[in-house]
Amino acid sequence: MTGSPDRPEAHTLRGATDRAALLRIHDIVETMEPLATAELDDYLNPSVLELTLEDGLCEAKTARIDVQWTTQGEYKFHYTDDQGVDFRWGKHPHGGDYIHVPRLEHYHPPPDASSEPDEVEASCITQAPPDLVIRAVLKLWRVAYHTNSYEPLNAGQNPP
Amino acid sequence: MSDQEQPEEFADINEAVGAQWEAETTPYERIRRVIAHTYEPVSTDAVAEDARTAPKTARKHLKALVDEGFVETVPGEHGGTQYRRSSESLVVEQAADILEHVSTDELVTRIQEMREQLSEYQSEFGVDSPEELAVEQANQALAASESTQQTIDPETIRDWKTLRRNLAFATAALSIGNAEQFVDDDHRSADDTVPV
Repeated sequence: MTGSPDRPEAHTLRGATDRAALLRIHDIVETMEPLATAELDDYLNPSVLELTLEDGLCEAKTARIDVQWTTQGEYKFHYTDDQGVDFRWGKHPHGGDYIHVPRLEHYHPPPDASSEPDEVEASCITQAPPDLVIRAVLKLWRVAYHTNSYEPLNAGQNPP
Repeated sequence: MSDQEQPEEFADINEAVGAQWEAETTPYERIRRVIAHTYEPVSTDAVAEDARTAPKTARKHLKALVDEGFVETVPGEHGGTQYRRSSESLVVEQAADILEHVSTDELVTRIQEMREQLSEYQSEFGVDSPEELAVEQANQALAASESTQQTIDPETIRDWKTLRRNLAFATAALSIGNAEQFVDDDHRSADDTVPV
């Protein structure tokens, strides 16, 4: 799914899954986004926090965002919906494979969350704390939802 | 449902969510949130930047959080003090969350399962820990020829580390639950026997 098959270690999140951070993100989602419900895949030994969205973007009727977060502050927020559209914000080493991405934060664009080295974009989300990253994800999703477009997801702005 | 609500205009997503966070929280709350998930030592300035406060403010609140036991200090390379989340406070926090949401019976069953899974990793890879496995792999890569080299999925190593960490939280929860039980029983029996 991600990265070059010959060097899988170069595209892996570093550190163990951070259960505490996933619980924090869970609480923020439940408080801030009425269209989303959040649930750990395993309460005691979670690897993913699943955000179920009551509505999808554009033509989609249902959608999900899978959240991974590690003790090194690296993450993946992967969106998938009933129309087969996927995209993902990520933060992890990529060994310089993503030629347009100078930092760790990057964006795999829709419709298939492409991992082609020249299609992966630098992410508009650059702040580090889980409190801010989940707020950014929810806000970008909201703007895309209201504009019926995937464009705002990594534009990082909502112009008049 | 507030899904009719139009999101406000913004020029930069980071600034937009940062300003919103700042408006809804105190500097102390933001510093606590930032350091809560910071497990490697960082400087006051780094915390201040992430928490959108002045370094002086960050230093004051970090000191208070050290006194509370939420944060621990580590000597920095250049004489400065660095800060990270205290492991003890993290373990106690996670254990409390588990005790609140998981029954003792379920906890006992799951701890048993997680221990078995941990043993399976150890016997499958012939080492005691994911760190040893990483060293082993590096040695094999240096020694062995391309053809005999066996690569282990890095996700497996992460799953192993995660399992070990979460088993520690679950075990702490069970121990604290048991300890509370004994302490409560002790108080009760003391009440019965001590004449007033």
